[in-house]
Amino acid sequence: MTDERLSLDSEGRTRAYGLMWTWPRMVRAASAEYLGAGLMLALAFFCWIGPTLYPHNGLAIHAHHILSAPDRRFALGTDALGRNVLARLMRGGQTTLAIAFWASAIGLVAGLAYGMAAGLGPAWIDRLLMRLLDALLAIPTLVLMIFFAAIMPLGDVGLATLLGLVSWPGIARLARNETLAARERDYVRAARQFGANGFYVAHAHILRAMLPLVVVNATFLMADMILGLSGLSFLGLGIQPPHASWGGLLNTGAGLAVIGSWWLIVFPGLAIFLAILAMNMLGQGMLARLNGEASG
Amino acid sequence: MIVALARRLGGALLSVALLVTLVFFMIYATPGGPAYSILGVHASPNAVAALNRQMGLDHPVWQQYLTWWMHLARGDLGYSYTEHAPVASLIGSYLHNTLLLDSVVAIAAIGAAVVLGLAQGAYAHRLPGRLIGAWQIVGYSLPTFFVGTVVILVFAADLAWLPPGGIGGAAAAGHPLMPWRHLALPAATLALPLAAGLSRYFGHQVRDEYRQDYVRAAAARGLGPARIAFGHVLRNAARPLATLIGMMVPSLFVGGVLTESVFNYPGLGWLLWRSALEQDYPTLTAIVLLIGILTVLGNLAADLLNTVLDVRVRYD
Repeated sequence: MTDERLSLDSEGRTRAYGLMWTWPRMVRAASAEYLGAGLMLALAFFCWIGPTLYPHNGLAIHAHHILSAPDRRFALGTDALGRNVLARLMRGGQTTLAIAFWASAIGLVAGLAYGMAAGLGPAWIDRLLMRLLDALLAIPTLVLMIFFAAIMPLGDVGLATLLGLVSWPGIARLARNETLAARERDYVRAARQFGANGFYVAHAHILRAMLPLVVVNATFLMADMILGLSGLSFLGLGIQPPHASWGGLLNTGAGLAVIGSWWLIVFPGLAIFLAILAMNMLGQGMLARLNGEASG
Repeated sequence: MIVALARRLGGALLSVALLVTLVFFMIYATPGGPAYSILGVHASPNAVAALNRQMGLDHPVWQQYLTWWMHLARGDLGYSYTEHAPVASLIGSYLHNTLLLDSVVAIAAIGAAVVLGLAQGAYAHRLPGRLIGAWQIVGYSLPTFFVGTVVILVFAADLAWLPPGGIGGAAAAGHPLMPWRHLALPAATLALPLAAGLSRYFGHQVRDEYRQDYVRAAAARGLGPARIAFGHVLRNAARPLATLIGMMVPSLFVGGVLTESVFNYPGLGWLLWRSALEQDYPTLTAIVLLIGILTVLGNLAADLLNTVLDVRVRYD
């Protein structure tokens, strides 16, 4: 118990150790959110800085090196067309992470707008919007995504919009509950008394009051978006070839892995897993800190 | 109680109605319309117009919408153009397979969640609790489609212990272990993230119970840790289990789509995937509606179970 309080104190008391840190202590202090953030940064570095350090074309076909296992020339092997898997993994990561990011942003904005409208509006609007929300929450998101992706062909922007618009109800529920809690606080009532208009109160007080929780849930949303987008691409309904995406790489690799080309599924799968893990760790670490608990 | 029930039921019906409406307007707004997907993109305008007339697609929107509801009410889900059979007759066996897989997964996941959650709550902040916590975050960060492909590679391709997918053909029908051998890998793959998520939730419940005064009182009376864990804590922590099961339902179907696709397991999720790839709109629509309705029913059942199990829960 004592060790935990030392390493996970939210008041920053851990810093008192300064240069005396030994590495077991550092590991213990490096709680989930730092590990998650570090992992995400490393993945972003891999995807965006990686191509400049490893300048190979992921679309170039090396006809004499079809399905070659990882070696010195192709660090992560080549696929059935003789394309460089490492280069494709970097490009695919850019697409996957960028679309997941914009999808989360869309979902976040839509959810916040809906939830705050419900929380700040009159009671009957709140009741109506929440009924609708319950109805929407009952529908499994991936099923809706598959349905939409099947009936209309989507580009990158379309995919981000689809994912964002399917995923906002959770954020909306949170935003509504937090708005209801915040709007009766004394400082908000005081601001109203001073004549602040609704829009000012909404963004300067209520949004600010729930910001920590919103940030935490945005991280979980991003994890969901990476999973959803990769799942969709794995099913052949998301990002379309020849564009690389982590889910798409796994999809094409799945059939070939059985005949021995394990590198075609292990690396894209690990990339998806690590990205989701990073966001989940970041979110859970932050949540534990908000609740004043040790993260575990 | 009656009012609460009626309200729950009303909410469930609203969910279904909203889903049906949403799906209708999405199909209505499809570029080209269903006729093109049946006849192909190179169909002549005359053929498209004729098919539209035949299917009633030239009527005004509201009329089509009403017809859509009437067909659904009669259980008429349309005609699959790729399977050449009415969708309603097609779905039966797939639904059966999915319910079989899902019930095995649900039992496995809940069982694992109870055991692990109890251990995690009892040993919170100690090594076993931390290990289980680490396993949980890894478990539900692992995408089922990745786990599925790796599991096939290892257990079916390399070790050849279990079949890689499907449910076995006619040759396998006589084997007593046949359905179970085919269920093992997909069920384990699907149960992993569910068990991780559920046990985390359950573990928190258990940990909170251990902080209650009655646990300290029981310990002061001299009861052993096993008596406290199974006689007191488990009973109280298990109360939200019904809610937990309700939470599982959407994840079961979502995970099911990916798992069934990876293992070529002929269930609803697999059929959803195939019909999406083949643009078989009637089948696709029917499955989306069916999964939506099953989810709503699952949540409703969990809510009702909760009311029965816990006298303190009152919907007002």
